[in-house]
Amino acid sequence: MAQDDSIYYRQGLPVPETPEPGRDAGFWETTDIVGKRVARVDGYERLSGAAVYPSDIKLPNMIYGAILRCPHPHARVKKLNTAPARKMPGVRALISGDAPESGGLQWKYDDYAAPLFDPHCRFEGEVLAAVAADTRYQAWDAVRAIKVEYEVLPYVSDHDQALDDKAPRVHESGNLVGSDEYIRGDADKGLSRADAVVEQTYQTPCELHTPMELHGCVANWDGDRLTIWESSQGVYAVQSRISEVLEMPLSKVRVIGHYMGGGFGSKLQPGKYTVLAALLARKAARPVKMILTREETYLCVGNRPANTMRLKAGARKDGTLTGLDFACTGPSGAYPAGGTSLVDWQIRDLYQCDNVRCSSRDVYIHAGPARPFRAPGHPQGSWALEQMMDDLAEKIGMDPVELRLKNIPEVSQARGNIPYTTTGLRQCIEKGAEQFGWKAAVKKAREHNRSNRAVKRGVGMGACVWIVGGGGPPATVAIKLFRDGSVNLNMGASDIGTGTKTVMALVAAEELGIRPEVIQIEHADTGTTQYATPSGGSKTVPTESPTVRNAAIDVKRQVLEMAAEDLDVPAADLVYQGAEVVSGSNSEKRIRVTEVSRLKKRGVVMGVGYRGPNPEGKSVNPFGAQFCELEVNIGTGEVSILRFLGAHDSGRVLDRLTYDNQVFGGIVMGIGLGLTEFRQLDAKQTGKLCNRNWHDYKLPTALDVPADMVSLPIEIDDPEANNTGAKGLGEPVTIPTAAAIANALYMATSVRFTRAPVNPIEIRRHL
Amino acid sequence: MLPSFSYVRPETVKDTVKHASARGAALHAGGTDLIGCLREGIMDVDKVVSLSALADLYGIRETADDGLTIGALATITEVAENPLVRNKYPGLAQGASEVASPQLRNQGTLGGNLCQKPRCWYYRGEFHCLRKGGDMCYALAGEHQFHAVFGHDRICVITHPSDTAPVLAALGAKLRVAGPDGGKTIAVENLHVPPRDNVLTETVLGPGEVITRIDLPRPAANLKSSYRKVRARRSWDFALAGVALALEMDGDRVENSRVFLSGAAPIPWRSRSVENVIRGRRLDDKTIAEARAAIVENADPLPGNTYKLELFKGVIEEELSAMGRPE
Repeated sequence: MAQDDSIYYRQGLPVPETPEPGRDAGFWETTDIVGKRVARVDGYERLSGAAVYPSDIKLPNMIYGAILRCPHPHARVKKLNTAPARKMPGVRALISGDAPESGGLQWKYDDYAAPLFDPHCRFEGEVLAAVAADTRYQAWDAVRAIKVEYEVLPYVSDHDQALDDKAPRVHESGNLVGSDEYIRGDADKGLSRADAVVEQTYQTPCELHTPMELHGCVANWDGDRLTIWESSQGVYAVQSRISEVLEMPLSKVRVIGHYMGGGFGSKLQPGKYTVLAALLARKAARPVKMILTREETYLCVGNRPANTMRLKAGARKDGTLTGLDFACTGPSGAYPAGGTSLVDWQIRDLYQCDNVRCSSRDVYIHAGPARPFRAPGHPQGSWALEQMMDDLAEKIGMDPVELRLKNIPEVSQARGNIPYTTTGLRQCIEKGAEQFGWKAAVKKAREHNRSNRAVKRGVGMGACVWIVGGGGPPATVAIKLFRDGSVNLNMGASDIGTGTKTVMALVAAEELGIRPEVIQIEHADTGTTQYATPSGGSKTVPTESPTVRNAAIDVKRQVLEMAAEDLDVPAADLVYQGAEVVSGSNSEKRIRVTEVSRLKKRGVVMGVGYRGPNPEGKSVNPFGAQFCELEVNIGTGEVSILRFLGAHDSGRVLDRLTYDNQVFGGIVMGIGLGLTEFRQLDAKQTGKLCNRNWHDYKLPTALDVPADMVSLPIEIDDPEANNTGAKGLGEPVTIPTAAAIANALYMATSVRFTRAPVNPIEIRRHL
Repeated sequence: MLPSFSYVRPETVKDTVKHASARGAALHAGGTDLIGCLREGIMDVDKVVSLSALADLYGIRETADDGLTIGALATITEVAENPLVRNKYPGLAQGASEVASPQLRNQGTLGGNLCQKPRCWYYRGEFHCLRKGGDMCYALAGEHQFHAVFGHDRICVITHPSDTAPVLAALGAKLRVAGPDGGKTIAVENLHVPPRDNVLTETVLGPGEVITRIDLPRPAANLKSSYRKVRARRSWDFALAGVALALEMDGDRVENSRVFLSGAAPIPWRSRSVENVIRGRRLDDKTIAEARAAIVENADPLPGNTYKLELFKGVIEEELSAMGRPE
């Protein structure tokens, strides 16, 4: 096949230098494709509907699964009669706790192992039985035909009451999952030396994960090999969990997740539904599709736990923070799931402070277990800390931006003062404030409020650090260069909607000189693609992009070696130019890549890249600051967010379009926390979930978010972090949003809204 | 999952009435509420009777006496965008434009909007509540921040979800209804049923009765109408508090008024106390202050929704101030 030069974006100029064998790739000083605004490589598939998500999978002879779930938050199953369901039309398999194939199977929450079918149900939605039938309707009819007798037991819904002596116990051991204490310096002493001390209690609501695609899978057996199409953030994580539960070798469990419709942390792991689908499929000897309903996902597959936080902070007149004393309670739900996990991280590490005490108590309640939710714990802690920073600023008569700039740490205090590879916290705040027009906006809002009674204005800001975001090993990526010069990129990572495939195509394109759209990507398949950890923790880009780069470099090294034979010059003398390989000492000596003999003969060169280690003794973290301006209708409590700006230091921007997308998406999600979303349990009567649909569970709509959103990347070269210099972005972008809104609300109303979400109900309760 | 049901699409009103009279029949106009109700299993339906083939139920036209007649199947979008509606009854156009979301407004109909089932999360959820034939109202002692502050008599504390009903009631609209006993007319303000009369139904319509058209009287030359709605989020949400005004002005004085509230009660709630305060008066600060107090007269808020009283005060102040401003 002849070489098609249109696949190259540059010809006759070198792509980045190929490091000698054994040497690490150097930092890109400049880039050609990376950092540009490049549309998604799979945009057509996603928009046209051609992309096949797990929900779209249809296999020959496929049948449908449905799950019987406990309708009570706490109950013991006295009797389960599945006989009527077995006789229903279309039913091909039914499993429950007493079925031989479910005997001894366990499901783990952190380290807590529970039976797959537990007659002691500790949350509404706990699994009791599962059915597979020819149609979804038949499966649900069969589920409804199962007769259950429950002993309904007392429950506890409120995490603040979970540790009361009288509270019903979720587990024999009591309702404390665990507690944690962190101490640096002496918080009491620090606070006693402050000129201003503020103390406040803050509450954030339980939020429910609402990805567009529901949780679910299709399971199919071929002999003793199981294939699962799962809507997942990580196919290898699903493979590992399922092989463990079903006691199968990893090699026999293939998990595929090419497209998936969002997870936000709730799809880092499979669910019981995945195991049930596999068991039903084996029993029925047919593929089983098991896609949960929205109501089921709201009950069973995770949430951001509600938190109650007490924070006491002190500062000197010059703005020096002298002490932070923080305590927090939150519910894991019915099983251990990190009810207070990372809530205190902002307090520990965001601002310079020598005296810090953080304590947390994670408790059980009778409700669905939590799962990681975009920046777990961080927006909650930010809700407290960032409001308190503003309170302190007011007390000492300092601008909130100034106070924060007074307290920028140069090292990660919570990690024993190790340095960050880079910290853009100061620039995020300074440049963000500058571009937002902070001082002018504050002045304008104050003037507006002097002359307007009905509608008040406010501006507010918040800053953040994300605990991880540096990525790291392990990761493996393979790149195949075909004899016509085209390229195939093979990686295990999922693209959870963030644009991972597009970003990785750009990285490979940058190194190989090939246009990104001609790079074919194979990904997220444990049967055919390389190992990757799940896409979570904002680590996919910093983990996979250096790995992709390493794989591309490996391809180039091999091609140079091969071309050296053709040109009869040492490989070290050759320069890779995308379309051609050229001798550095004699430009007469050149060969088109597609003419390289061994490539022609072999048909393909495969380069393999591994993710190298992170720098020792340093921490890689993204930082950010967000600014907002809003209006409050004092009479009606309605809030209009007028504009938002997100200034984020996530190292190098690899694709400006996907980057801005994350910033805007994070702000939208933060607006949900700040203004609209909350889980409501019927705590006083039944403990059941009240808001289980999209009307009652209020995600922000297009009219709740401002059209005026600005993304301001703070790009700081970070060659130490990794060889692309990228840090994570997807989570930090939602950390300070709600707190920035609360601070703006304070300026507008002079009321501290300490309980989120601040909807008109909350506003009218306080004004 | 939807239950099993048969589907008919009669071509005459007479056939429609016959089908709809059967036990277990439900009318299908836009279906935006019906489908959800079926899926959630809150009513027993085995026959769905489509209205879509009934030509008489479409269209928005001026009447001979300068009023307006709107087909029950006119979509909410059509009502919101119709120039006649916008010109003669701006309050109705506003009410329609505040309904739900663009997609739902394109599909939902005016007749259907008047006949919506309540949005109480207990009624819609797995709770066998009073309105579904159970023996208690869960919202009363439960989570009722979105619930009624008027007219519930502590029996059932739903709020009526319609945004168009309060405006139509304020404008004195009448419904043409076909039924087994022939045709009749019902004033919109008499359509809805408070819990004390019957907690199992939302409207006075009997089996087989079908709203065919909504008729609006000729607007008085000095008529000013408006609708204002406050909600927990800006789109796709029902009213926390809303006010529909139809004021006939005599210069800058209010000659006659009809004031209906949404998000207030199990039915569109007429606030005669506000009407009494503003009658014959200028909408100045003093009148508005009195209207603020009047709007919450006789309210019976629950512990979790007393905020609504402040909200209604805020809304009536804003709306009357806007009405009082010279154009």
